[in-house]
Amino acid sequence: MSENFRLDKGGLINRNKKISFKFNGKKYLGYEGDTLASALIANGVHLVGRSFKYHRPRGFFGAGVDEPYAIVQMNRNNQVDPNVKATEQELFEGLEAKSVNCWPNVDFDIGAINNFLNKFFPAGFYYKTFMWPKSFWHKVYEPIIRKAAGFGTASIKHDKERYEHKYEYCDLLITGSGPSGLASAYAAAQNGAKVILAEDKSRFGGSLLTSEVTIGNQSGQEWSQKIISELKSMPNVIVKNRSQVFGYYDHNMLVMSERISDHLPKSEKYTPKQRLWYIRAKEVIISSGSIERPLVFGNNDTPGVILSSAAKEYLKIYGVLVGKKPLVFTNNDSGYETAIEFKKNGIDPIVLDTRKDSNSEIIKEAKDLNINIKFSYVVVTAKGYKKVKSADITKISDDKKNISTIENVNCDCICVSGFWTPTIHLASQSGNKTKFKEEIDAFIPSQSKQKETTLGSANGIFTLEETLNTSFEKGNDLSKQITNKENKISVPTVVEKKYSKHDKFWCVPLPKGKNYKRFLDFQNDVTVSDIQLALREGYRSIEHVKRYTTLGMATDQGKTSNLNGLQLVSDFENKVVPQVGHTTFRPPYTSVSIGAIVGREIGIHSKPTRKSPMHHWHEKNNAVFVDAGVWLRPRYYKHGSENLFEASKREAKNVRQNVGVCDVTTLGKIDIKGPDSAEFLNRVYTNAWLKLPVGKARYGVMLREDGIVMDDGTTTRISENHYHMTTTTAQAANVLSHLEYYLQLVWPELNVNVVSSTEQWAGAAIAGPKSRDVLQKLFPDLDVTNEGLPFMGYREGNLFGVNAKIYRISFSGELAYEVNVESDNGNYMWEKIMEIGKEFNIQPYGTEALSTLRIEMGHVAGSELDGRTIPYDNSLDGLVSKKKDFIGKRSLNKTAYVAPDRQKVVGVVPLDKKTSIPEGSYIVRDAKAKLPNPKLGHVSASCWSVEYDNPFSLAIIKDGKNMIGQKLFAMSPLKNKIIPVEIVSSHYVDPKGERVRS
Amino acid sequence: MLYIKCPHCGLRSQNEFSYGGDATVKRPELNKEISDQDWDNFVYLRKSPRGKHLELWQHISGCRQWIKVERDTLTHEIFKTLKANEEL
Amino acid sequence: MQKYSVFSLIKNAFKGHKDWEVAWKDPTPKTEYDVIIIGGGGHGLATAYYLAKEHNITKVAIIEKGWIGGGNVGRNTTIIRSNYMHDENGLFSEFGMNLWRNMSQDLNFNVMFSPRGIINLAHSDAQMNVYSRRGNSMRLNGIDAVLLNREEVRKIIPMADFSENVRFPIFGGLMQPSAGTARHDAVAWGYARQADSMGVDIIQNCEVTGFDISNGKILGIRTSKGNIKAKKIGLCVAGSTNILAEKLNMTLPIETHLLQACVSEPIKPILDNVVTFGAGHFYCSQSDKGEMVMGGDLDGYNSYSQRGNLPTLQHVLTEGIAMFPFLSKLKMLRTWGGIMDMSMDGSPIIDKTHIEGLYLNCGWCYGGFKATPASGWTFAHTIAQNRPHELNAGYSLNRFSTGHLIDEKGLGTKTWIS
Repeated sequence: MSENFRLDKGGLINRNKKISFKFNGKKYLGYEGDTLASALIANGVHLVGRSFKYHRPRGFFGAGVDEPYAIVQMNRNNQVDPNVKATEQELFEGLEAKSVNCWPNVDFDIGAINNFLNKFFPAGFYYKTFMWPKSFWHKVYEPIIRKAAGFGTASIKHDKERYEHKYEYCDLLITGSGPSGLASAYAAAQNGAKVILAEDKSRFGGSLLTSEVTIGNQSGQEWSQKIISELKSMPNVIVKNRSQVFGYYDHNMLVMSERISDHLPKSEKYTPKQRLWYIRAKEVIISSGSIERPLVFGNNDTPGVILSSAAKEYLKIYGVLVGKKPLVFTNNDSGYETAIEFKKNGIDPIVLDTRKDSNSEIIKEAKDLNINIKFSYVVVTAKGYKKVKSADITKISDDKKNISTIENVNCDCICVSGFWTPTIHLASQSGNKTKFKEEIDAFIPSQSKQKETTLGSANGIFTLEETLNTSFEKGNDLSKQITNKENKISVPTVVEKKYSKHDKFWCVPLPKGKNYKRFLDFQNDVTVSDIQLALREGYRSIEHVKRYTTLGMATDQGKTSNLNGLQLVSDFENKVVPQVGHTTFRPPYTSVSIGAIVGREIGIHSKPTRKSPMHHWHEKNNAVFVDAGVWLRPRYYKHGSENLFEASKREAKNVRQNVGVCDVTTLGKIDIKGPDSAEFLNRVYTNAWLKLPVGKARYGVMLREDGIVMDDGTTTRISENHYHMTTTTAQAANVLSHLEYYLQLVWPELNVNVVSSTEQWAGAAIAGPKSRDVLQKLFPDLDVTNEGLPFMGYREGNLFGVNAKIYRISFSGELAYEVNVESDNGNYMWEKIMEIGKEFNIQPYGTEALSTLRIEMGHVAGSELDGRTIPYDNSLDGLVSKKKDFIGKRSLNKTAYVAPDRQKVVGVVPLDKKTSIPEGSYIVRDAKAKLPNPKLGHVSASCWSVEYDNPFSLAIIKDGKNMIGQKLFAMSPLKNKIIPVEIVSSHYVDPKGERVRS
Repeated sequence: MLYIKCPHCGLRSQNEFSYGGDATVKRPELNKEISDQDWDNFVYLRKSPRGKHLELWQHISGCRQWIKVERDTLTHEIFKTLKANEEL
Repeated sequence: MQKYSVFSLIKNAFKGHKDWEVAWKDPTPKTEYDVIIIGGGGHGLATAYYLAKEHNITKVAIIEKGWIGGGNVGRNTTIIRSNYMHDENGLFSEFGMNLWRNMSQDLNFNVMFSPRGIINLAHSDAQMNVYSRRGNSMRLNGIDAVLLNREEVRKIIPMADFSENVRFPIFGGLMQPSAGTARHDAVAWGYARQADSMGVDIIQNCEVTGFDISNGKILGIRTSKGNIKAKKIGLCVAGSTNILAEKLNMTLPIETHLLQACVSEPIKPILDNVVTFGAGHFYCSQSDKGEMVMGGDLDGYNSYSQRGNLPTLQHVLTEGIAMFPFLSKLKMLRTWGGIMDMSMDGSPIIDKTHIEGLYLNCGWCYGGFKATPASGWTFAHTIAQNRPHELNAGYSLNRFSTGHLIDEKGLGTKTWIS
């Protein structure tokens, strides 16, 4: 198809570069600098989609972000992009797009049957029906509704694009490069301020690109390009096009999305598709302009009904005619600009002006051009289904209540102008309580809440002269306060046409006997009668109206519908618009790609990964890793075809029989120094710490103030005023903050300092009856006898030239030592241990074997210390000092905590000595009791006891201390298991703890 | 994102800090007789006003100091920041 | 009251929908009521409805500062579930599930309860065990729960990330097949319409400015529309609880925090269930309109502002893409924030207070929406009978003193950590 609607000349497109693209499978041509919308209109394509509810044909209504209709599905570089606005998408070679929300195609859409049944689908109809039979909502009605809804189709393939983030600080952020943005940016830049000027569109200049004005001795367009090129050349200015500031957040943090590659056939290597800018600005100038307000009349959603400003933009920027027989329907002077533009390009428009008469400059010009102007005229309805073919028009009475005889005029487009709505979204997001400005019938910002200033038409100022004057002044004032420099420039003189007052009229009454649909929200199919129905049914708050009718909840977020909705509500309720108030503006101003919000933290990098210095050794030795928070730890080392169970059993057994080594680097480590350290520990831990000698370690439990166990670990007195604390892997960060909290806020009188040393040390636990032999060979000069290095003893040693710290502590319940060296030497240490341990049959063991060892010893860990248990529950009574006070002690006397049948940790053994009890099972008395079956407690940890070669579990059960010997049931309904069990002591192996002291 | 002036380091974005809640909670002295109710009030009751709120933050990815911040819970405006040992 | 049905819809269609009655009236307050419920949110409206329906107490007023349903019932992610570990929470919520299942018919208002199932993904064996503990508890309490392995999860949600390039692979999940979603606004409106029809006065745009209390007994309230007497007053104001508590000289184990959520632009159906990410705090479902409804963490500091900040959502959506990579190509359309009454153990309070005739319903944390019917039902019972029902006996105010805490997450009093 040739470009029937493209003018021979004019516009800002590059006519030297033709671009071919496909829409709904058909090939078209456009030019570089087109949007998908302008190129389609140039080709006479107006039917692009179907509406949400009634599946009515939809074309183009705007030329930018306010577009409610033209949503397409794109295919770019073999990737699917659902829900792309054709008015925003720049054309590139090979672009492929198709219509959405229609089946089988946009031309013939089965869903359009809804349109003929629309009488049955008023606002909120679904609340009144689809209730019988009961199960049908979920099974029948909902699937049908779901299928009919939604626009594009998402691909489940991974997004191959790259998205980046940038953090920026500036003196002034200016949102929009129209006259107010350019003037304020220029003035501020002259004062040396660091300025960021953001423009949503690809071209800078905003309204100056399409308005007939003179600034100085240049056209508006020329002036804007001159200012932009000057700004671009200044080192203190960042100028960004294709960049939408969409959110105004706390403390003057704004967020902008920059579309870097969306206008290209594909993103270049290492170049992001989009970049998200977090900008902290000292001052913000909101120069986001205004959006034309539609007029409401019958079938005003027909393709070919378009905003008059958009029609002008298509003409002036793209050299494209939205129609060849245009009707301009306006309540103000703006419509005339469009009419004149048509006329200048050889097209005869008819102007219908709702006003009685007007004699402003522009109307005179239109009259001089012999443009057919009909005052006191309105469009009653558009005619045509997939495209406007004609319009029913009529004269309207002065009070706008009565219409006269209907006339039908041929036309192929209706350009509507209902005056202007300032884009106040960012100001409102900032917290600015907006006010209603009677003269323009719209809301504008009032008192600034944060450091924001709104200028130009966004502030309800519609003359260029005042806009430039105030913007130069504000740009200068705001920047000089920051930079203390003033380099004031003179404001150029402006020639522009004076406008007369707009008509306070937006909604054309229905002729008698006609029931035309008059649309407010074009995408969500919300009509005037829907609003009336909502009010009639008592949904009177504007929020109720919005929610009941879905007005303004479509992807355009009501940019063109909100004010007309408010006007209607206030008319029907006999209120004025400010009494009705508007719904809250929230970020984002326009939809933002989720990929851009997330940035680079995707896939394997969605969270950090922490690895110990021995990680590569583990990898080389067939370790299978497990996530422990963000750490990776070896879970087991696979020999041949072993599975988890077999490997962990082998490893655990080897610890019990010979010696094993486990990487314990991930444990949290905190260095504690200062003369009051002992006193501090004495307050932090439940047990006594004042008399711990130098060179000795002690196990400790710390509570939260509510008496719940927070963490456990060992702390070693390295020297008089120096302690080394270990925490669990999971709680390391919390414990450090906890200690700092008490030292800095509660007991600042204590002279103690704490610092994390987790990263500084690599740790290896050497455990098993032969561990002393290994240790002796690792440290030939050290006395490692039971007397020389007793249980809970600490020594420093030299491990083949490397300084090492040796703690005789044990989690496995065996004779064991923990050796720490500086992280850089971790791998060296590990290899030495393996080399020397070889003759003692040393094997590395992972977390699974470690669990087995601790469970059968009855050592509590994370699964018992789950944030809900007190020390008594964990059989840690002996560690709770009766003599001294400590954090959380006062909570331990609560009724529930001292109840005689308080829960307690016990051991659980299946009666058949074969069936493993799944973790998370519950202990019950009667497996067949009716539900809800009372639970005695739950199985917290299970293992295969390598000591006894049968399953063993820990459980925390009610009255645990009196349950030993009872025969009960472990139940896991999820796994369909009922296992008869006997309750035994939690200390299943070596209950007296002789091995660790051997 | 809040912009918090650490009294030790200067203005920093909120993501360097972690929150610590009501700063007016005073831990009872150790070893001091205290009623159950007073203790429970300390553990469980918090000031949560709409408006000015004195709260704790820790500059966890900075100097690691706990600080006090007077902030409006409705507007999120920060009026004042204090060191741990300072009072309003 | 007009009955809603397909027949009434057709009948009215031919009359141009001119004959529909108001869903609720707009009365001026009377001078005295038997019961005043402060707060016209889901819980308050449900309480009034069940007071009338179950206890025949109809001289009831609901006092709402703004517009009904404007709080959290109108700004949540619509998830309904009873997948709790603790008995108190499980049994209470499952009682609620039964009310949900019959709600559209009971209220003659389609609340679109959609039992599409919720899946909590697990990303390690340890987490599978934690979910087993929860799921087994549910099953023993008579609540449906299924443990899924990786392949079973893949069958239900193949669009989740089962690739190699993943930080926390999916090990499996816990599913409650009967859980689901509902149309949140409809719940408020449905309760309001029925309560109104039974004689309850719904008074909007009426702010409570004070309480009349004498000798430890409540006598009435002072409002922007005048003083209103009542011997029984129920406080049902979620995130605003502390504001009213201050007027009563009460301090409660509750902090007010901000929780954000967002939706994407609508797309064709891709996700049939509600899914939560296990290696963080992200949850997602797809609305009937096609929007992906997403939420996660609190903003993390006390707030009465319904506006949050982007880094929280960035964090939430990062987990979103980790779970569902397809989200990357969608666009975030709308964000909003709600203020949460976070209790010190994460569970609610439905109880009497030390002031005779004053009843408290608060502390719902993130879980208020799903609890709407059960909360209304048990609160109505507590007010009418002047004692808690056994279903809400555990939600007592004094559990913080006795130590009978109901801490699903085991996080204690740091309410802002999730």
